[in-house]
Amino acid sequence: MAQAEIKAEKRPRKSALKTLGNYSFILIFLCIFLTYIWVNGGATTISGVMNILRHSTVVGIIAFGMGLVIITGGIDLSVGSMLSLIGGFSVEVFNKTNSPIATLLFALAMGFVLGMLNGVLVGKVRMPAFIVTLATMMIYRSMAQYYLRAAVRKSIYNMNGQLSAYDAFYGFGQQKLLSVPVVGLVLIAVTIIMVFITTSTKYGKSVFAVGSNEKAAQLAGINVSWTRSTVYIITGVLCGLAAFIWLAMNGSVDPATLGKSNEMYAIAAVVIGGVSMAGGKGKLLGVLFGAMSYTIIDKIIASLRMDALINDTIKGTILLVAVLIQIMIPVLRGKMVKKTI
Amino acid sequence: MDLLSMNGVSKSFFDVTVLDRVDFVVREGEVHALLGENGAGKSTLMNILAGVLDKDAGSVRFDGRQFDHITVKESENAGIAFVHQELNLFNDLTVYENIYLRKEIIGALGILNKKAMIENTRDLFNRLGVDIDPAALVSELDTSKKQLLEIAKALFAQAKLFILDEPTTALNSNEIEHLFSIIRRLKAEGKTFIFISHKMNEIFAIADRYTVLNNGRMVMSGDIKDTNPREVTRLMVGGKLVDAGYYFERKLGNPVLILRGLTGSGFENVDLTVREGEVIGFTGLKGAGISELFQTIFGVLPMRSGDIELFGRKINKQTIHGAMRSRVAMIAANRKENSIIPDMALLENFYASEHVLSRRRQVIRRRKEVANYDALRDKLGVKAADPLDLITSLSGGNQQKVILARWLNTNAKILIMDNPTQGIDVGAKAEIYKLILELANSGITVLFNTLEIPEIQKVADRCIVFFHGRIQAELERNDISEEKVMLCATGAANMREDAI
Repeated sequence: MAQAEIKAEKRPRKSALKTLGNYSFILIFLCIFLTYIWVNGGATTISGVMNILRHSTVVGIIAFGMGLVIITGGIDLSVGSMLSLIGGFSVEVFNKTNSPIATLLFALAMGFVLGMLNGVLVGKVRMPAFIVTLATMMIYRSMAQYYLRAAVRKSIYNMNGQLSAYDAFYGFGQQKLLSVPVVGLVLIAVTIIMVFITTSTKYGKSVFAVGSNEKAAQLAGINVSWTRSTVYIITGVLCGLAAFIWLAMNGSVDPATLGKSNEMYAIAAVVIGGVSMAGGKGKLLGVLFGAMSYTIIDKIIASLRMDALINDTIKGTILLVAVLIQIMIPVLRGKMVKKTI
Repeated sequence: MDLLSMNGVSKSFFDVTVLDRVDFVVREGEVHALLGENGAGKSTLMNILAGVLDKDAGSVRFDGRQFDHITVKESENAGIAFVHQELNLFNDLTVYENIYLRKEIIGALGILNKKAMIENTRDLFNRLGVDIDPAALVSELDTSKKQLLEIAKALFAQAKLFILDEPTTALNSNEIEHLFSIIRRLKAEGKTFIFISHKMNEIFAIADRYTVLNNGRMVMSGDIKDTNPREVTRLMVGGKLVDAGYYFERKLGNPVLILRGLTGSGFENVDLTVREGEVIGFTGLKGAGISELFQTIFGVLPMRSGDIELFGRKINKQTIHGAMRSRVAMIAANRKENSIIPDMALLENFYASEHVLSRRRQVIRRRKEVANYDALRDKLGVKAADPLDLITSLSGGNQQKVILARWLNTNAKILIMDNPTQGIDVGAKAEIYKLILELANSGITVLFNTLEIPEIQKVADRCIVFFHGRIQAELERNDISEEKVMLCATGAANMREDAI
């Protein structure tokens, strides 16, 4: 015991390895990004780089919700299906109202409701998160597809290009501000807000506390079931935002494919970002880099003119390497510390 | 005939002598009570017998054979069965599967003969007079049935000597009577028991002979009929020195906490009036209900009947949040499980509870928090440098101080501490008790729970002794003596000496 005290007093402020361990996502991102520049050679353009940001937006926004959920020790498999269902219904809302603002509000509200269903079942009823969101994953996507066939009677949800507000809405998805895509700015804004919530608000700290030691959090006065519920609601709202961005960028929703595997990419982005699947540990800033890393891989494969089917082999490998690095750094650090003693 | 004789057994851990040349003799076909306070060396002695620990010196003879360095396996094979307090059963298997685990009856083609196993188990239970369905899942049995199953399991393994380590802790009086009738029946068949318990009424009801350990030495052994509870208690406590310590007289204020007939899970009918600035030490055997009482006052467990009055306000349904707002704080037992948030820094652990109370202002002001942390850290003498270090980098005593600081930071006026000195070293214990008195002097009311009576003598104004979920005695400071407290806590005070 006395030894632990001495260690606490004499520990150096911050070791380089410790910092690297906390920010390994930047290392991985840089490796992939440099590969991208090397592959593209002279063909690298600013707009090409900016496109990375643009194409990371939808998965990135979803991944921030996923990150919050995973910090509490849970998981949300329904994000891709939420994207599809909210996106499809939002198309209908836009076609009826001709108002992007109303569409946005509808998307956010619907995300709130879908997320709340997950949140109440996991947080209040205490059902396992994996099971609840597996079920809603199936339900939400099926509803999107069924409604399309039964009520809309088309093969995809398509925004009506004749409407007066269509150009403004679609234009928003393509617009650039000083060569930075506007949707990318939305992703940056979400990043700033989510990082702020997790590092500088009391709510954010309680999310970590619940994931780290639920019993201790409860006995410290934290309302555990409420905290658990809210992270799923926030994820739902972020899915609503992501669906709106998707519409602005693409103008249509195919409920059979939109958001398929997105839950997996979101989880991977969170893990590459350094958030522990066991909960309680990690930084949400990493999620941005995790999401962008995966987008760059798409670009690299496209510029090498490789078969797109190789895509997931590479993404899976990078996930394994990222986790390996995260596991190895503390081990290495432990060895270094032992040597110095 | 002597079934077991342990002679001159010694054992020390890191230069601390736990057993000092202990002689312990058990005769065949008797129930032998092994007595002593917490830390007297009972568990160590039994663990040596069961082969869990190796002795430093001495000899062990069991059933006519000499055992020098006995292993767990040898001990079991020789016929010694240790029925642990924490039950060693597989909850997700059925009763007969537990009994036959690794001894399954196998028929043709390696298929289990379930029918035979169930039948044999039923016979075994009939012989014992136990009413358990052999095919039931163990998780569906209540604690007393599980305990009986443990005994049946040992019986099935042809045990001769049963070590029962505080077997009645979780049982009610009917279940205890049932257990005793089974012990008597097996005794008639020639089985031998070592019975470890703190409860005098049980010892005098079931045991034939006794041995008392005190501070690692055997102080007395003899027939139960030649002694009485008062005498045994005196031997267990032994004339230990108590330093009065740092207690000082203080003026107590108005009543701040009043319990009227409070009943909850594990305790009933508790009446208590606590005054501002008072320090009350609670004690009792394990499972006496104090921890449950504390958790009920703090809103962790529901109250069944009765009421709690806090600062003149009556409460019929308590929640943790409500308790915190009425300025009650609780430091839970088992620090690692119930208090520490292991992935968070000292500062975050320190602010976990205050953040709940001040949640209307969501944004954290880091500089102000660090200043508050530094102030309380210095006040409590926490040895830690960087507020951003993980709490797990501190020693147990310092962790506990951080948790104490967590609650002081909420401006709590009533501090409930459930076994606050658990798992921390002697020096840190002394510091925590000094702090308790200082806090009390500044008007904070402290309720704490401990198994160590000298700690109560050091700091408490009053001592409440629990037995079986009820207040057994309320002792004013001048009346607190270890012997008196033990008499009440073990239920010996209830028994009339001439009745034995």
